[in-house]
Amino acid sequence: MAKTPDDPRLELLQGTLDMLVLRTLQWGRQHGHGIGQAIRQQSDDLLKVETGSLYPALHRLEKRGWLKSEWGVSEANQKAKYYKLTAAGKAQLLRERDRWSQLVHAIGRIMNPASTGEE
Amino acid sequence: MHDDRELDDEIRGHLAISIKDRIDRGEDPESARRAALLEFGYVPSVRDAVHRVWYSRWFDMLADFARDMRIGLRSLSRTKGLAVTVVATLALGIGANAAIFSVIRGVLLRPLVNRGEDQLIYIQQSTPGVGVANAMFSVPEIADITARAKTISAFGDFSTIDFTMLGLGDPHVVKAGVVSGAYFDVMGLSPVLGRLLDEEDDGPNAPGAVVLTHRFWSTTLKSDASVVGKTVRLGAIDAKVVGVLEPSVPYPAETEIIANVVTSPHHLAATMVTLRTHRMTDLFGRLAPGATLDDARRELTSIHAAMIREHPEAYSPKAGTRLSVARLRDQITAPARPILILLLAAAAIVFVIACANVANLILARSVRREGELSVRAALGASRGALRRTLLAESLVLCGAGAALGVILARPFVAIVARYASRFSVRALDVTVDASVLWVGALLAIAAAVLLAHIPRLPSTEGARSRRSPNRRLRMFAMTQIACSFVLLAAAAALVTTLLALKDVQTGYNMRSVLAIDLPTASLSMTAADVSFYRELTQRIGRLPGVDGVSMGTNVPWRDAGKLPGIPFASAGGHPQAGLDNPRARIRMVSPGFFSVLGVPLLRGRDFTDADRASSESVVIVSKSVADRLFPNGDAVNRKMAWTDPLFDKKAHRIVGVVADVDDEHIVPEALLTIYHPVLQLMVAGRLFVHVSGDPYAVVPALKKVVRRMSADQPVERAATLEDVRAEVLSPRRLNAFVLSGFAGVALVIAVVGVSGVLAFSVKARMREFGVRLALGSSPRRLLVGVLLEGLFIVGAGILVGAAAGYGLSHIAAGYLDNVHVPGVLPTLAAAMLLAAAAVLASLVPAARASHVDVLQALRSE
Repeated sequence: MAKTPDDPRLELLQGTLDMLVLRTLQWGRQHGHGIGQAIRQQSDDLLKVETGSLYPALHRLEKRGWLKSEWGVSEANQKAKYYKLTAAGKAQLLRERDRWSQLVHAIGRIMNPASTGEE
Repeated sequence: MHDDRELDDEIRGHLAISIKDRIDRGEDPESARRAALLEFGYVPSVRDAVHRVWYSRWFDMLADFARDMRIGLRSLSRTKGLAVTVVATLALGIGANAAIFSVIRGVLLRPLVNRGEDQLIYIQQSTPGVGVANAMFSVPEIADITARAKTISAFGDFSTIDFTMLGLGDPHVVKAGVVSGAYFDVMGLSPVLGRLLDEEDDGPNAPGAVVLTHRFWSTTLKSDASVVGKTVRLGAIDAKVVGVLEPSVPYPAETEIIANVVTSPHHLAATMVTLRTHRMTDLFGRLAPGATLDDARRELTSIHAAMIREHPEAYSPKAGTRLSVARLRDQITAPARPILILLLAAAAIVFVIACANVANLILARSVRREGELSVRAALGASRGALRRTLLAESLVLCGAGAALGVILARPFVAIVARYASRFSVRALDVTVDASVLWVGALLAIAAAVLLAHIPRLPSTEGARSRRSPNRRLRMFAMTQIACSFVLLAAAAALVTTLLALKDVQTGYNMRSVLAIDLPTASLSMTAADVSFYRELTQRIGRLPGVDGVSMGTNVPWRDAGKLPGIPFASAGGHPQAGLDNPRARIRMVSPGFFSVLGVPLLRGRDFTDADRASSESVVIVSKSVADRLFPNGDAVNRKMAWTDPLFDKKAHRIVGVVADVDDEHIVPEALLTIYHPVLQLMVAGRLFVHVSGDPYAVVPALKKVVRRMSADQPVERAATLEDVRAEVLSPRRLNAFVLSGFAGVALVIAVVGVSGVLAFSVKARMREFGVRLALGSSPRRLLVGVLLEGLFIVGAGILVGAAAGYGLSHIAAGYLDNVHVPGVLPTLAAAMLLAAAAVLASLVPAARASHVDVLQALRSE
């Protein structure tokens, strides 16, 4: 419904980006820059998240009640906004993970009928 | 949560961390900063992206709305004719309403510039028994009131008088106000230059002082600041210009200057100061702190009643002398109120008609769109979504109409203001103000919302009936016709009255007589003045083209009311209780007056040069006087006398009888008029010249003659009697013009409405017509059928309009005066006009009906 920047690769990632952000915050709170870094590192530089998608995603997730933000002091001694998962966010993460697995499994069956989807 | 500042802090925090990381990894601070910024991206677009998340709902709505607008615009452009008509009619309706609203606000609702205007009151003495609304006060009366009133803290008085003013350009007759020192303080006014008059300027020993009114200063003197301090000569007295008044509403009269008492010898004379019946002053007051208007009214009324009891000789019982007290603001706006409300009603009617028209057109169109709307509903559009589309369309139309209307409002406001200024001077200052925009916007939105709800949305059950939109359309068209009829009938009534007035026989020679103001410096002439005028008359008589010259005191209609009626009786007769004799107008004329003006002499002789101050006192009377005084015999050589206490009781011999003419009223009544020779009463001031050929061609030569004889004599307002009368008629003409304008607009809109209804009806019945034609019906019958349908709508509308108009005029008569039901002739004329318009409007659709292509009609659905 709402128009997003029309890069097709990013569009695919919008729902997935949300899931990745939730996943990254599973282990504790983090600020925007840290989240972006984490996703890049853990994907071996394959996924580079633009701030133009990351920050809207963070605010959207906060609006939905899956994240909570608080102000703190960063390692650069500057004021920074930290995000952390809420209980609802945790539940959402589990739901999305399941859905993602089913999706991958289903696509895998079509693309490669012989093999099974990864767990 | 949605705080831009917090977002900026968040971004700054991100950048700081990013830079620090890079520095830790070994980059130098400068390139680390640049690289971090580059990596972050374009900050404003990140901000925008977050905003879109915050305000996603609004963005969605906006996007939807924009899309609806685009669709609406596109479909409207496919029916340009409809769009243009709708926009035009709305523009007229909205523009007219917005303009009138501005004027009403400016005249009735805006506060005055006077300080503390809530405490400012106007006190008026009226004698309704003899038909005088403002009888004014005399100096002894004012003294009584001011001495006894406790609810008023201060009084100010104002008398109007004419001066010949020298010293500021050409010699000029100015209307002046003569005031007491407290006047400006009571009125709460301030100067824009110099100072205003105050207590120091009061009394017979103060130096002459003059204040210029703002309008006079800015127009005639072109806002020349150096006039302050100059000395002018008012009649025989010198006075210094001490200041310029701020722009304010001139009341009770529009004057050019305001002077202190010492400039007017008349004001210091005994008659003015001691005679209780010599009334020429208006009275203002300021309420004492704590006193209300009602308190003041009660107190002043009782003081007034006591005054009448104490001096019964000055108050005729027939006159019914009364006192009224009102807030100045109410007094000023009261005359304009009925007219403005009438205008508002007319504009509202036009707006209703315009809306009905627009509704008609949109309804007709929506029926054609039913297919499209059903498809959209079937595809899943909710009722709300469909309504939103309609709303977007009607907003585009109404928005365009309102925008155009607001543009039109400015010239409309100018016209209405000039019209209203004849009833209230406040209208002169009205300009378009912001309220016009608000009213325009409000009206447009109201219209748009209304219109969006008119078309019927496709319902989920049942087949749509074809008949009901037709009936609704007919009702709209009938409403339009009814409203137009009311306006047309009113306009026709005004126009017929105007035409009747134009053709009335006045008894004067209208085209060839020039009337000129030649005011004398003081009210009565000296011997030197007499010889001046005699010489002047002779010289002007010798000018080429001039057939006759005469002096007088009153220019017909222009000087109406200058001299009041004076009671008289036949000499030696038995005068009844002094003031109950019949009243006649008194006029002073020189020999030749009647032949110059074309008034026939019925009996006896005209004045001659032998009738002068030293010889016997003679008069000429009008026929109705002769019939009144001497019904059984000849009036010539009988005597009459004036019975007013201010006048000499001398008997005057009647030497001639002339035809009755009325120089006061536009519609001539039989006025009792008695003429004295100028040379016997020594008063003149007006020149009448009979010219063969174009009277205006003589004016420059005439002015030169006067100038050569005297450098100081003002020569003003030269005009033929015809033009003088036309100018007096112009308010009525303007009335008729404005109302006809409204009616014309209404007619056009209604005609379009009827035409639209019929066109729609024909289109809807195309199949029926096709079948009938195929079955052998003649095309003419179809045409006549459609015409009859049109006439039926108009007929019904006229009946409704007549009933409504009748009812309305009864209601209006309760609130305003001068409201009559229009006569038979104008009503019939209006009905005929509407019927003719209906036939015209029906012709095209009717022709269409009779030329229906059978096959196409049968195929259409």
